[in-house]
Amino acid sequence: MLLNVSGQLAPIDSKRHITHQFRLDKPAAAIQIRFAYGPKLLEDDGQAKELIMISIGSYIAPEQQSPVREGWRRYLPLKNLLTLSIDDPDGYRGACHRHDAEQNLFLSEQEASDGLLSGKLALGEWSVTISVHSVVTEHCSYELSIWTEEADTA
Amino acid sequence: MRWLASELHTHTFHSDGRQTLRKLASGAAKLGFDCIALTDHNTMSGLGDSELIERETGVVIIPGMEWTTFYGHMVTIGLQDFVDWRKTGQSEIHEGISMVHGRGGLAGMAHPFRIGSPVCTGCYWEYEIKDWNDLDYIEVWSGTFASVKPENRRAFALWTDRLNAGIRIAATSGRDWHEQANTDEPLSVTYLGLDDEPGTISQKAVRALAQGRVSVTVGPLVTMEAEAAGALYGIGESVTVQNGADLIQLHVKIDFSVRQTLWELPKQDFTLKITGISGTLAQCAAGFADQLYGFSIPAYGLIWARAELWGVVKGVRTMVAFTNAIYFEPVATE
Ligand SMILES: [Zn+2]
Ligand SMILES: [Zn+2]
Repeated sequence: MLLNVSGQLAPIDSKRHITHQFRLDKPAAAIQIRFAYGPKLLEDDGQAKELIMISIGSYIAPEQQSPVREGWRRYLPLKNLLTLSIDDPDGYRGACHRHDAEQNLFLSEQEASDGLLSGKLALGEWSVTISVHSVVTEHCSYELSIWTEEADTA
Repeated sequence: MRWLASELHTHTFHSDGRQTLRKLASGAAKLGFDCIALTDHNTMSGLGDSELIERETGVVIIPGMEWTTFYGHMVTIGLQDFVDWRKTGQSEIHEGISMVHGRGGLAGMAHPFRIGSPVCTGCYWEYEIKDWNDLDYIEVWSGTFASVKPENRRAFALWTDRLNAGIRIAATSGRDWHEQANTDEPLSVTYLGLDDEPGTISQKAVRALAQGRVSVTVGPLVTMEAEAAGALYGIGESVTVQNGADLIQLHVKIDFSVRQTLWELPKQDFTLKITGISGTLAQCAAGFADQLYGFSIPAYGLIWARAELWGVVKGVRTMVAFTNAIYFEPVATE
């Protein structure tokens, strides 16, 4: 295992990047990544309504606000959104900007999961950045595990 | 001039789209598009087989990426290299834009007034803009049946306001196309006017956008030329006005033959308007057939002009098409 971390996030962590580093010391056929977070949805409609009303107040033109407030339910459910991006010792290896709360990703020389770039798995310092676009639930926990597949088992 | 029918805002499985690039490009071809820009969120990994797919579908694919950040979504197109979207703070977007420009790309505000976080994270533009000349374009029509949506009307008004302030900035449409789904709603097309300079079609398309040679429509293509002192100027160009007392001749062409059978509007009399800093400068009725229209506009006080075509779309009176601006500047006198 190259990395196995978990974390607890709260709404205050929104709009923050969290970077976890790991070292690749031995040549590998593939790097496997499992990322999961939860809860995904804010289930409490009362809390969701409050947040939606704040968004409407901030982002909708004043003269449009009252019909939009009336239709606030169309913005349900509010979701937590964390996305991953990866850097190898030489630079960016892509991002997986999508809503899945569990993602199993891989990188290899020939292929990679959608969003990531295939290519040489260089030895050295790598990092995974979790971009916390939004946490709307009181707590949101995540787990991130990264391991390799041996060159000869691929 | 060849006008390239383009869709400048698209996504695939490489971000949160529900389509492959092949599906996207062949869907675009069926809808009569000559060109798409692939603008996946924060990754360019989807461009791996773009050359092959260009050959298969005949659709030109402009490389791009949508900066999908905490403070705004910024579409960047025309660059081959990745520019890091993660390091730019809310007051630092100009550093981000110069990195995009440094790699030969253009930067545009995507859907600047879409509701923001947490409903749609980062969707509302909240980056501080210190110099509007840095931004290349504003996506003023986002989504389908764009002209009637309040957030797009705000974006369009923002563009007009910037033109009035003397900024030269282009305006585009973008479907923010995530999947192949049929819709009855009118689709916007951004036409890019290709020059005769060297380069690939993709490079010419990016250059057209950089130079404001852009016209947007849900149906017929509207183009415009200005004639002053015997010379002709196209959309995006700047006319030097010798004398404020001069009249500028504007020639507007409406072409109904573009993407024939792929769009539908009720037969009607449209209204063709010329707009500038003081609002509507001139207008006339326009029939449902290819035609040229001429307007004489006093040069005095003119800093920009665009053509707008208005009509009834799905029972709503709204804008059908608009050109980007032609600019005017008085000649410096000793
Ligand atoms: Zn966006
Ligand atoms: Zn988008």
